[in-house]
Amino acid sequence: MGSQISLTISITMIVLFSIAIFGFAISFGNDNDADMNIGSDSVVASSYNLNKGNASQFSTESEDTYTSILETTIAEGSDSLPSAAPFSPTRGSLVGSLKNIVTLPINSIFGGWGSPFGIFFTVLISIITLMFALYLLKTLRGNP
Amino acid sequence: MSYLYELPNATSGLDAIVIDTFNVFPFMSSLILLFVYLTVFLGGITRQTIKSGTADYSAWALIAAMATLLPALIFSISGGFIQLDWLIIVVALNILGAIWFFLDRKPSEI
Repeated sequence: MGSQISLTISITMIVLFSIAIFGFAISFGNDNDADMNIGSDSVVASSYNLNKGNASQFSTESEDTYTSILETTIAEGSDSLPSAAPFSPTRGSLVGSLKNIVTLPINSIFGGWGSPFGIFFTVLISIITLMFALYLLKTLRGNP
Repeated sequence: MSYLYELPNATSGLDAIVIDTFNVFPFMSSLILLFVYLTVFLGGITRQTIKSGTADYSAWALIAAMATLLPALIFSISGGFIQLDWLIIVVALNILGAIWFFLDRKPSEI
């Protein structure tokens, strides 16, 4: 990772990969009338639907952000944007989707958010959120 | 001839033999999946290290997880091969591998 753009793309790819894996596994089970279908598990179905919601939200916000960036004006004499509004998708839907995605591994392998290992993912998501914030600051104001 | 174990009933299909085996030893399917995962993961990083001097651990972890998902899905078609919990764990491994892989990329690689 090296910039806000690459971090955004990385998390977007994680979201898309998760949706693809869920979709493939659930469709495989449906198409073959499998006895074991992960779509029948409530945690998986919930995670899949939340991810789809986050991805749709991200798409909508991206379009809004594109329009917002095109309409953004920088005052004469100023070298930065007046607000961080154009970066709202990274703050909202992407970080939220990452939390939804890691919920499944935490529940199925590590015993839930309240387990001794749950704090690992809590800190991981927190540091990614903090990196987003620092990258935004860097974009707006230069080196933090 | 006497046997040390009860022979599976093959009149209902050859897969009944495998299912009976898995019923006697429920960990069998999990060990097969573990074998696939470790073969791809360790084999991949070993060969890449020999060829190039370094290995892309996150990429091989993801490839191994994806390679494990295929037999896990095939096992899921018929009941008795794999438990739903193990199938979910394999999917979770894929997601963890993807998180590691995509956050591990250098800016020039993504």
